[in-house]
Amino acid sequence: MIEELFQIEKHAYKDSCIHRLDARVKILLAFAAIIAIVAVPYSNMVYTVGGIFFAFFIVLWALTRLSPRIYLQRLIEIVPLWGIVIFFQIFLKNKYYVDYHVVMTLPFGIAIYAESIQFAFILLVKFIVSISFIILLSSTTKVQDMLEGGVRLGLPADFALILGMMIRYLFVFGYIYRKVNESLATRCFNAFDRRLPWKYRMRQLGYTLGTMFIRAYEQGERVYTSMLCRGYGRSSFLYIKKKPLCRGDIAFLCASLAFVIVIPVTIWLTAIRFF
Amino acid sequence: MHIPDAFMPIWQGAIYWIIALVFIMLALRWAKNQLTEEKIPVVAVLAAAVFALMSFNLPVSMGTSGHLIGGALVAIVLGSPFAAVFILTLVLIVQGVLFGDGGITTMGANIINMGVIGGFVGYYSFHGFMRVTKNISFSAGPAAWLACFIPAEVCAVEMYFAGTFPLREGLIAMGLYHALIGIIEAVITVLVIHLILRVRPDLIDEKVRQLQAKGVNG
Repeated sequence: MIEELFQIEKHAYKDSCIHRLDARVKILLAFAAIIAIVAVPYSNMVYTVGGIFFAFFIVLWALTRLSPRIYLQRLIEIVPLWGIVIFFQIFLKNKYYVDYHVVMTLPFGIAIYAESIQFAFILLVKFIVSISFIILLSSTTKVQDMLEGGVRLGLPADFALILGMMIRYLFVFGYIYRKVNESLATRCFNAFDRRLPWKYRMRQLGYTLGTMFIRAYEQGERVYTSMLCRGYGRSSFLYIKKKPLCRGDIAFLCASLAFVIVIPVTIWLTAIRFF
Repeated sequence: MHIPDAFMPIWQGAIYWIIALVFIMLALRWAKNQLTEEKIPVVAVLAAAVFALMSFNLPVSMGTSGHLIGGALVAIVLGSPFAAVFILTLVLIVQGVLFGDGGITTMGANIINMGVIGGFVGYYSFHGFMRVTKNISFSAGPAAWLACFIPAEVCAVEMYFAGTFPLREGLIAMGLYHALIGIIEAVITVLVIHLILRVRPDLIDEKVRQLQAKGVNG
């Protein structure tokens, strides 16, 4: 995961109208879209809301001028594990349906149900839409901007101070992680090589991770010393300049929030009236 | 164990968020009271390191791999379960917002599972085992295993309440997988603690050092 960090940050440094939006706008939009799609009940309504949200996401992604391949690569990295859980849904019954109709019977008494397939698709749509908005947010917003946006939205200062330092050192540890892996590879060490005794592999990995832990601690001590030289103290606080949203940001935020709220509500009201 | 968005109804996610926020507030209070000036950058850098440590793929068995969660390790080394809550909350925020690993609406549940339950189980079971075994390895190992296994089982229960996975199958699947990953977590935790005790004993919690000084070592 840490290796993706450099790639994600590289994309965030590109320029487009979405990149130029204030981080607060993108955070609020992503969170609102995720909350809205998750709030839609597990029903067929999800297909319509999810479809419209995904179309909205595609428009936003097109405006970022980033390649669709970047989105697909990131999606493929995230989906597999929970994709398996979603796939297994087709064999399982859940509390959202009363009657189940068998579509196919397999050996060992395993059956695939029509309702379970439907539920799996509902989960998949919700999952993909949620992930897509996170990908949009992180691919178009620099990590530091995201932190500043978070602070301006009310993230506690103590938390923000440590989170900011953590983010700064994520990149340092990204490099260390890469170097450690390279040096392990240079020594022809592969943790998954079964020809090596398991005990030996564990010891090597344990000491590697332990060394990294100690290096982190020592790095932290050095950081403290250098921060002291630059006027840091317990009483110092994180100061982030006030930055009012510009008209364009406000207009975009209002329009997209209205869209994200109105669409599910309208579809829900239509569904109620229909039934 | 990182539950993504969509796998939990929004109201359940909100409940877990409220519970998680209580623990985050307590962890913030711990940080304010317990973290000395020089410890603040150290904890921040450690959080970045824990993130990197979690990126290492570790061989489990039958071709599967897992990664370190680190709740028990952080709690034991820094001497407080709130340290685990604090650091894992930071890590989970970064994982969720930057990488989409774990959801936004489900982040409360993830913080409870890995940070709160992992940290508290890891810390208190370590000290409980220490009283019985008087051996750091025999205490840190099982504590780390429990800190991996119990949150996984809780995660299965949460998924059951969410209606996205049946209880029995969830408990078996999550239990078996994390019982195996837990062994790796246990071995790595023991090795890391031993390495720190040997190389930089001053970094580790004083209680653990005292136990080592008494000759209680594994």
